[in-house]
Amino acid sequence: MIKKLFRNKSDRDQVSNNMATKQIRYEALVKALHTDLYRYAYWLCHDKQVAEDLVQETFLRAWRALDSLKDEKAAKSWLITILRRENARRFERKRLDMADYEEVTIADNQAVGSEQEIENHWLREKIAQLPEEYREPLVLQVIGGFSGDDIAKMLDLNKNTVMTRLFRARNQLKDALDNEPIQRGQYNG
Amino acid sequence: MDDLQFRRSIYADPKSRDEAMQEAIDGDPTKQQFVRDIEALDDKLAQAMKVPVPDDLYDKLILRQTLDSHRQQKRKNRIQLAMAASVAFALGLTFNFMQYSTPYSTLGEYALAHVYHEEGKFSNDDQVRVSLAALNDKMATFNGSFEQGFGELISAQFCPFQGVKSLHLVFQGKSSPVTVLIVPNHEELEFIEDFNDENFNGKTLLMHDNNVIVIGDKNEPIEQWQEDIKDNVSWSI
Repeated sequence: MIKKLFRNKSDRDQVSNNMATKQIRYEALVKALHTDLYRYAYWLCHDKQVAEDLVQETFLRAWRALDSLKDEKAAKSWLITILRRENARRFERKRLDMADYEEVTIADNQAVGSEQEIENHWLREKIAQLPEEYREPLVLQVIGGFSGDDIAKMLDLNKNTVMTRLFRARNQLKDALDNEPIQRGQYNG
Repeated sequence: MDDLQFRRSIYADPKSRDEAMQEAIDGDPTKQQFVRDIEALDDKLAQAMKVPVPDDLYDKLILRQTLDSHRQQKRKNRIQLAMAASVAFALGLTFNFMQYSTPYSTLGEYALAHVYHEEGKFSNDDQVRVSLAALNDKMATFNGSFEQGFGELISAQFCPFQGVKSLHLVFQGKSSPVTVLIVPNHEELEFIEDFNDENFNGKTLLMHDNNVIVIGDKNEPIEQWQEDIKDNVSWSI
């Protein structure tokens, strides 16, 4: 009996130890990846508030399922998969908000800014105007640093499709930049 | 590698370089320029995509998780409590079951065990006698009565017999007390007419839904006792 009590106690120590490890793991994960994840979410939905909600929901789910993440290297793609699922759920809940890309506007809160910021802002609008199926792999490649194979796996597409979309995405943006009005930014300042 | 294919590859992934591509780049200044252009484009894209992240996002994420794990902990405690309650309940049931179930499968075995259990409580020389009225008072529970006394009744008391209220009578016998048990019929124990072990003989009679069990030592004429009881007892209803 006494032995059993002792064991219980050490079990509990073990459990709280595991909890502490889990906590540290979680915090490290949040610290390392919340920036990328937020940006990815932002490019999915173009809304700061929604992006934040998505990231919150994603990390909460990640916390609950943290034990199932065995390979830390896979953490980012794991989180992105969760986030995409959350985003899809959002559309199930509220079909009305279904993205109409054309009208998407990027909040202009940088009325006063450097040349660089003005260019960024202009470019953001161009990125936002890309069709979603082109934009998503591009964001994953540029921000996430994923390879074509990784992206294909995450988006459940074949690699050739992904590469074609990446090509078209860059091609469109390059065209847009090349035809960029010289006057750009002046109306802003 | 033709030019179109080369451009497509660079557009799709500016950082990808296999040997064929590297060769193509090295040998062609136009291609080098093209790669530089696309790399510059990618830098701009990366710059533009890095939208500002809310300063407090990290803290919010940690906070949500802390609150959530607190809630989960509470839920877990409730579940543990429920489980503990279930276990206690099951233990209670088991205990009850063990209490009221026996390893004996027949009336005879149980009756013998009962006699052994009470052995020593009564002696053949006991002078205490139970009156016929007192006996019949108790017999009323079983809807029976004795018309006249027979034998010397040392003790008459109710006993739980396999959880059933029964009457336990002890008579003076030839060399040791004779036990008569009146047990309402119930299905858990198998009826057995004759039984014995190295010390005792026993017989059972089914009378009016009651098992009347007589147990005495080897000297005792059990049949005679049974006859006496049969002659004396009357059952109402």
